[in-house]
Amino acid sequence: MTPLIAFRGITKRFPGVVALEDVTLEVRRGELHAVCGENGAGKSTLMKILSGVYQPDEGTLEIDGRPVRFTGTRDAERAGVAIIHQELALVEQLSVAANVFLGRERRTPTGLLDDRTMLEECGRLLATLECPVPPGTPTGSLRVGDQQLVEIAKALSLDASVVVMDEPTSALTEAESARLERTISRLLARGTTIIYISHKMDEVFRLADRITVLRDGRHVRTVDRAATTPREITGWMVGRDISSGDLQTRRQRGGRLLEVRDLSLPWPEHPRGYRLSHVSLDLHAGEILGVAGLMGAGRTELLETIFGAGEPTWTGEIRLDGAPVRFRHPREACDARIAMVTEDRKRLGLFPDLDVAGNVSLCSLRDALRGGLVSRRREETMVSATVRETGVKTPGVHAAITGLSGGNQQKCIIGRWLLTRPRVLLLDDPTRGIDVGAKAELYALIDRLCRDGMGVILTSSELPELLTLADRIVVLAEGRLTAEFSRAEATEEKIMHAATGGSPAAARA
Amino acid sequence: MNGTGNPTGGWRIPRHELALLAAIVLVYVVTGWLDPNHTYFGNWAESRDIILRNTALLGIIALGAAVVIIAGGIDLSAGSMVAFSATTCALLLAVFSEVDDRRLVTVGPLGIAAAIGGALLSGLLVGTLHAWLITAIRLPPFVATLATLVGLRSFARAMCLFVTRERWGSESQQINVNTPFFAWLKEHNVWISTGAFLAIAFVTWLILSRTVLGRHLYALGGNEQAARLSGVRTENVKWFAYCFGSLTASLAGIFLMADSSVAQPGNLARGYELNAIAAAVVGGCSLQGGVGTVPGTVLGALFLRLVIDAVSKLIKASADIYEGMIVGIIVALAVTLTQVGQAAKGGRVLFPGARGLAAIPTIATFAGLLAMMGAANVDAIKGRTGVFGMVVGACVLAILAAVRWMECRRAS
Amino acid sequence: MRRQAMADTRLLPRAAWAEMACAVAVAMSMAAGLPGCSGQQKPATPAGPGAAPTAAAKRLIFITNGDDPFWDALLSGLKEGEKRFGCAAAGLTVSRDVNNASAEGQIERLRQYATQNDVAGIAISVIQADNQSIVEEMKRLQAKGVKVITVDGDVNRNTFRDARPFYIGTDNVVGGRMLGTATRALLEGRGLKEGGYVQFAGFTDNDNARSRMNGVKEAIGPAYAERDRMADEMDLPRARDNVRNATQNHKDLAALVGIWAYNAPAIADVVIASGTRDKYVVATFDAADLAIGHMEKGNIDCMVVQNPFEMGVQTVRLLKAMIEGDDAVVQEMYPRVGGPDGDIYTTGLRVVVPSDASPVKKELFDPKVVEFMTLPDFKAWLAKYNLTSS
Repeated sequence: MTPLIAFRGITKRFPGVVALEDVTLEVRRGELHAVCGENGAGKSTLMKILSGVYQPDEGTLEIDGRPVRFTGTRDAERAGVAIIHQELALVEQLSVAANVFLGRERRTPTGLLDDRTMLEECGRLLATLECPVPPGTPTGSLRVGDQQLVEIAKALSLDASVVVMDEPTSALTEAESARLERTISRLLARGTTIIYISHKMDEVFRLADRITVLRDGRHVRTVDRAATTPREITGWMVGRDISSGDLQTRRQRGGRLLEVRDLSLPWPEHPRGYRLSHVSLDLHAGEILGVAGLMGAGRTELLETIFGAGEPTWTGEIRLDGAPVRFRHPREACDARIAMVTEDRKRLGLFPDLDVAGNVSLCSLRDALRGGLVSRRREETMVSATVRETGVKTPGVHAAITGLSGGNQQKCIIGRWLLTRPRVLLLDDPTRGIDVGAKAELYALIDRLCRDGMGVILTSSELPELLTLADRIVVLAEGRLTAEFSRAEATEEKIMHAATGGSPAAARA
Repeated sequence: MNGTGNPTGGWRIPRHELALLAAIVLVYVVTGWLDPNHTYFGNWAESRDIILRNTALLGIIALGAAVVIIAGGIDLSAGSMVAFSATTCALLLAVFSEVDDRRLVTVGPLGIAAAIGGALLSGLLVGTLHAWLITAIRLPPFVATLATLVGLRSFARAMCLFVTRERWGSESQQINVNTPFFAWLKEHNVWISTGAFLAIAFVTWLILSRTVLGRHLYALGGNEQAARLSGVRTENVKWFAYCFGSLTASLAGIFLMADSSVAQPGNLARGYELNAIAAAVVGGCSLQGGVGTVPGTVLGALFLRLVIDAVSKLIKASADIYEGMIVGIIVALAVTLTQVGQAAKGGRVLFPGARGLAAIPTIATFAGLLAMMGAANVDAIKGRTGVFGMVVGACVLAILAAVRWMECRRAS
Repeated sequence: MRRQAMADTRLLPRAAWAEMACAVAVAMSMAAGLPGCSGQQKPATPAGPGAAPTAAAKRLIFITNGDDPFWDALLSGLKEGEKRFGCAAAGLTVSRDVNNASAEGQIERLRQYATQNDVAGIAISVIQADNQSIVEEMKRLQAKGVKVITVDGDVNRNTFRDARPFYIGTDNVVGGRMLGTATRALLEGRGLKEGGYVQFAGFTDNDNARSRMNGVKEAIGPAYAERDRMADEMDLPRARDNVRNATQNHKDLAALVGIWAYNAPAIADVVIASGTRDKYVVATFDAADLAIGHMEKGNIDCMVVQNPFEMGVQTVRLLKAMIEGDDAVVQEMYPRVGGPDGDIYTTGLRVVVPSDASPVKKELFDPKVVEFMTLPDFKAWLAKYNLTSS
């Protein structure tokens, strides 16, 4: 039986790097085919070839046995291929409905835009995804998780025969992921073929029929799901055996670094009225405090407020080493040895025109001064040391930062802040979009930093991650702190219960 | 632009600057050869003076424009700032001159210092105004500097009328400046303004590539939010950038006033801001911010002025009618060239689909018209300019069509 | 669009050569393909860099102050002079360079011509009489051996007399007086013993404008009050705005006086559009195409017309004589060199009225200085020289 999609000998090169080399892969009709690989393995590139964004340098793509050549995404769409990108491709100024129907707008008989139909249809789509956002909302004002749902809605509205999902749950909560899985089941039941890129083994093993592993641009293996284990798959992905090591040899907890008391942040435009309400927590030296919560719970706002990067309208008290502080600009927080690694490094963290050295040294240029001027040599020394310490893989400190993989970019940003020798490190979802191997390295790095006496507040949507790293976990739900657990007493269910607004068990006063 | 626009880039070969340098040398040699007077070879001292003087003037403003662009902003008001500064200088001279001296010959050193200082101060004030409008009022830079583009010139004209009326009883649209100091300045304007230009270029280079402020400028231009979140005081950096831009324009205003012995705010330096931005862009600055160098901007200014002068030599009349077209073509070509290498490698097509097909005859038509108009000055072609234009247009059409055909063949 | 990291560490990556080659090719094609490849000579044989310039044609260039139809009539005169005095045989070509109405424009042009060895003579209508920079450039050109004269617009003769040996043009004070006399006659013809008037020009500090306006004021007499002198910097819309503003600002306005050629149609257009033609006396300088049309329709009461055609002819004559060292011609044109006003050659003036019925009468004017014509006669005169304006 001819496969629905066949990649035959696909090769794709970019300046300086070979993204895919002689990849041959078949996808059968009606199956859910998972594609796994580290970042840089070539998964996204392969899918972009399928969806018409790129053209292969060598090799052919066959749909239903016939070779095709897509010159653009329209061709792919017409052939029935829809893709949900990992990097969101939405126009922020347009509404949700406009984005969903972008390029395929519905028109009235007279040829004008039929906004009403589009809003209705969009509303229905969002309802099936159980997304509460009104279809007329400007997309730019949504948080990342909701934006991803819009992307999914867009692909679903295409009614495609092949749907490619590139890490769709990376910004979704567990509940939303479950809902997505229900949607996927519905699609499969209808006969849609799904290609599912992910490195979350639990998802893959729950959903996939067959699994393909790519590594360094080559095809490693394709197996039936029933014939393999997660350990085996991750082993093929990194070419070595990964054990999620136990990082838990006791860390010493030191004195109290940071105290937050009754922190409240008003939110005038929202019916709820506040982004944060009476949040209190403590952070000690040498400990990792995890902050769990759903999208919109206020995790990022909490970190931003502590860092002085958010709205200045907050009330309450923040004490650093016992002394009250009120930062009006990140610079002041920086001077007080607090550092923050933001979510969404592309938008908020990277300087694409600066090289690795420029990105890493930005906050600590003063240490590289000689005679009032920045000394290149000192800067390079500083940066090289940091690059080594954080384990960044880069051709050199003067390489363009855009050429690095996501994990390495994130390490650079962490390195940037490490150079400021902070005592408090705030990490906002630092491992989003980072592959398994790099994640493990980041965990080890964070653990090491803590042993050196730093206090870390870590936000994450991945509960296993929090359970691996954190000493204590607080849970935010809709701006309120609903629970606090030590690692020993924390379980995924308890955290999820608190995050969905369950009764504030053991909430701190 | 890789590496070259990167302030921390190691000793990477500055491709863009080398290409500009090669182009400059080439234009010089070819023009000198084609020009029947062979002015560039035989009598180049005068031409050198003209080119240097104009390059220095343009370059000073372009350095300011480059700093603003690198910081992620834009300053549309440079030309009006030049006029405003020249007018301020002249007016202060008038205030410090003796009562009936309408040619400002009698101004003492105090007056001169006050006038120059006042003109530069006006630059600082306008720069601060820009920074305030942009950071506190949150006007987009385009809008804020558009407002001053029109506002400053008008304000300068009003000031001119007001002061001339108060001082000398009759309104005048301009003020003649025959002060001996400025006459002396004009005498030596070539070297003084070139020297000032090089000094400012050096200082700018130092700031941009070797100071924390410079690095912050690049960071701000590259990603403003990330810069803020990394502790960069973005408001202060912007303030510096816009003040620098306006200050360089006001210095240029003083030189221009000295050179033409008059401050006429209505017409002075119209369009200079666009030439300055063009020089910065040709020199490698990206209008999105975060990219650009001083050597590139300097060479960009030199290249622009050289080509304008070359056209003067070749058409043997003043080139200011063609100046706009020249600058436009050069800017488009310069930015295109940096993409040509990418396009060829990345398989990108220059004339894709229907758009590309439509672009070809458009370009050919413009080329033909341009050739026709320019050739009207050439006696050998006179009377057959229409034919000449069509021939040039047809040649361009053939070349572009061939490119398109090759692309189609490659794709299939 | 972000660039990928270049791992290539060769001295100049391949792409760089491609870029440079492109840049060089483009620059070359621009310089070579630019219009006017070889100026006057045949494109086929450009002289090599080492060869001495062949007996190339020398150029006479006329630099105007701005763009104005006045200069078209002058251009006809230049061409006529080129023919009449045998310039081609003497290896001289005559051309006109239109300035952009700014002082910097003229300064820049003078500097450019200083670099070009084939320029032999320059005539310039100086835009700002008091501008020192223009004067210095003129002197610098003369130091190089280029002959420089002023035509139509002179430098300030009190301070910069030595900037040029000769001036050709209208005696602007006289011209102003003519216009003042005519305007007075027109006002009296309407029975107005007093009233206000406004004068309009491009620049109020331009020498010829200043002289004319002073002449008008002198001749129109103390009974009428000069309310304003309005400058428009050769910007046509602004010229019209000035007229509108003048009519609104001054309630006793009785006459509108145009000093430069384009002011005439500007004034006429405005008064026609506002329906106030009958309220004002319209007296103007020069006979631009449009102005002649307006006078035919009765919109202009009187024109004092210069003779730019003659200016052009005499310019060529003088410059050629200066270049060839032909003292006889120079002596003939300037018999009183060295004396006061010995450096001025006046070209004729005409006073033109719509018809004999005009209150402006021939007897008001000295026939030695000015020629009085009615419009039909004037048009006949124009036709004789194939001119459409003056």
